[in-house]
Amino acid sequence: MPPEDLDRLVERMVDGSEQSRRQFIRHLAGAGLLVGPGSAFLAACGGVKGESSGKKVSAAVHHPKVPIGDWTFSNWPLYIDKSVLKTFNKRYGGNVKYLEDINDNFEFFGKVRQQLQAHQSIGRDIVTLTDYMAARWVRDGFVTAIDHANVPNMKNLVPELQHPKYDPNRNYSLPWQSGGVGLGYDRRKTGRELTSVKDFFDPKFKGRVSFLSEPYDSAGMVMLGDGINATNATLDQIMAAIDKIEKAQKSGQIRRFTGNDYTTDLTKGNLWVAMAYSGDVVALQADNPHLEFAFPEEGSMEFTDNMMIPAKAAHPYAAETMMNYVYEPAVAAKIAAYVNYIPPVQGVKEILAAKDPKLAANPLIFPPDAVRKRLHAYPTLSPADERAMEARMAQVVGG
Amino acid sequence: MLRLTVRRRRRLLPYLFLGPGLLWLVIFFLVPLLNQLNVSLESGNPETGYAFSWHFATYSDAISAYHTQFTRSLLFAGAATVIDLVIAFPLAYFIAFKAGRMKNLMLLLIILPFFTSYLVRTVAWQLILSDNGFVVSRLRDVGLVASDGRLLATSTAVIAGIAYNFMPFMALPLYVSLEKIDPRMIEAATDLYASRSTAFRKVTLPLALPGIFAGSLLTFIPAVGDYINALLLGTPNQYMIGNVIQAKFLNILDYPTAAALSFMLMGIILIGIALYARVLGTRSLTEAAAA
Repeated sequence: MPPEDLDRLVERMVDGSEQSRRQFIRHLAGAGLLVGPGSAFLAACGGVKGESSGKKVSAAVHHPKVPIGDWTFSNWPLYIDKSVLKTFNKRYGGNVKYLEDINDNFEFFGKVRQQLQAHQSIGRDIVTLTDYMAARWVRDGFVTAIDHANVPNMKNLVPELQHPKYDPNRNYSLPWQSGGVGLGYDRRKTGRELTSVKDFFDPKFKGRVSFLSEPYDSAGMVMLGDGINATNATLDQIMAAIDKIEKAQKSGQIRRFTGNDYTTDLTKGNLWVAMAYSGDVVALQADNPHLEFAFPEEGSMEFTDNMMIPAKAAHPYAAETMMNYVYEPAVAAKIAAYVNYIPPVQGVKEILAAKDPKLAANPLIFPPDAVRKRLHAYPTLSPADERAMEARMAQVVGG
Repeated sequence: MLRLTVRRRRRLLPYLFLGPGLLWLVIFFLVPLLNQLNVSLESGNPETGYAFSWHFATYSDAISAYHTQFTRSLLFAGAATVIDLVIAFPLAYFIAFKAGRMKNLMLLLIILPFFTSYLVRTVAWQLILSDNGFVVSRLRDVGLVASDGRLLATSTAVIAGIAYNFMPFMALPLYVSLEKIDPRMIEAATDLYASRSTAFRKVTLPLALPGIFAGSLLTFIPAVGDYINALLLGTPNQYMIGNVIQAKFLNILDYPTAAALSFMLMGIILIGIALYARVLGTRSLTEAAAA
């Protein structure tokens, strides 16, 4: 998928404006492009031919309490209120090296793939990956099991995220934030409220529509629009949805496929309707108050980014202590207030309601039950099906 | 005892001088190249890894899947090169023969945009050409762009972006070869009753040929592999082979296809240069290199 232009990055360089984390996601991937093909090539040069064993790590683990020391946390850009890290260091000792080096699930996987497949440490104690990539890591044994005794606050995890198919007991993963995919649009340009997936295909918006390049998101949304339960979709249904996207692309309806870089085009008016992530639009409203976000009536794909301890991590106890810490509702509230995504921790809304009622009333951070019911998790695909889907989508996105 | 005769030493000396350069080429060009060849013949998938398997089918599959982008890259780069030549030739001619004291200043002005990053310059065009921007609004007013039309995210924008970004690569070699021309030769031609246009055709142009050759190669080669312009100023319908290679390497992690595509791109460019050199003559190639 084409990551991503750098305009947002450039803008930030120019005016130093604050922005939410997802806007940055693929921009840095864009920056990576400049050196990227070379570095990816070097990575490929190593020529690790190791077949992943696919074995699961044992779930019953015990990580003894040790001093926290220096440890490493990899996350997406602008995905935490950094004061949380400082407080953590103060309270538990040690020093967390916080890397904002995940800009794209696949790109990040490409970066650490060789070490993982060679059963080496990747030098990180927590990584935060989206469901489908998290599933891949669990399935291929690239993770260290979480010692639940060290994360008692896991009890605060919202019920609907407790049993994902790829990790039914949350032995290897713990949600960081969730968000929804929906219609991000400029109310002045569209001239009306948008409520349906069909609005992406409205010929009045020809050439002013962007889709997400990730098929889990875009094909998922198209299927929901066609009344298919995307969570249980078959490969054939997914392929049909991608065909439909291709048709819209060829006809000129879709102007671009994007990661998070729809944000600039949307604020500038080049795009009228973007397939968007909920948290972004909350942040963009500061730049352009006419921007709206709607969860379509047919439903929305919901993504969750998950904290995981990579295999051979050197500081699992530190990682678990952090997981436990961010599952304290007060800490989770702080993060939610900063990132504008859906917090996976119970009790956050009550805390925010006391501090900042406006934020607590924001339907994008705390979707009402009617919306929540229409949020759909990504389908669980076999590795071969997933590859087929990604390859097909790459063809469409690649022109 | 190692005692070399003077003759033998003479014979070895050039190789000694070549040594550092050759070593550089071997380490940073030949080895990666062979490695890439190796990668392009691997098969597998990103999840379980890739293994070498003489998998030549990658090449044919890549060609059948991405020939559109190949053709488009050649077309876009070719168009941009021609545009650059048409714009840069008069410019270089003017600087070389008419600019006088302003010569250095004007050369500086050509290079000046290069003081900012390539990416920033292209993003700037994205802003200039945006649907609600000044440029598009004025063009709509005079009817050059349809009222619901646009410039951004079109082939025009991509070709113009490439032409803009690579212009100095055309202008500078042209300037160098034009500047070397002794004006007395043109005078001599006119003294011998050549009209100005004949003098240009028979004297100036042939003498500028090395510059044209070098300039068009320096423009065309990087332009074929460019993906920034198509990415920022185009849509998937404008994507070039560079976009495909970039996505394959970084996002899809399909290293064999990416490597195979890079290899074929290199092959196409090499064949193209060989043909071009044949047409313009190898003498100008070496002269261009000297220039």
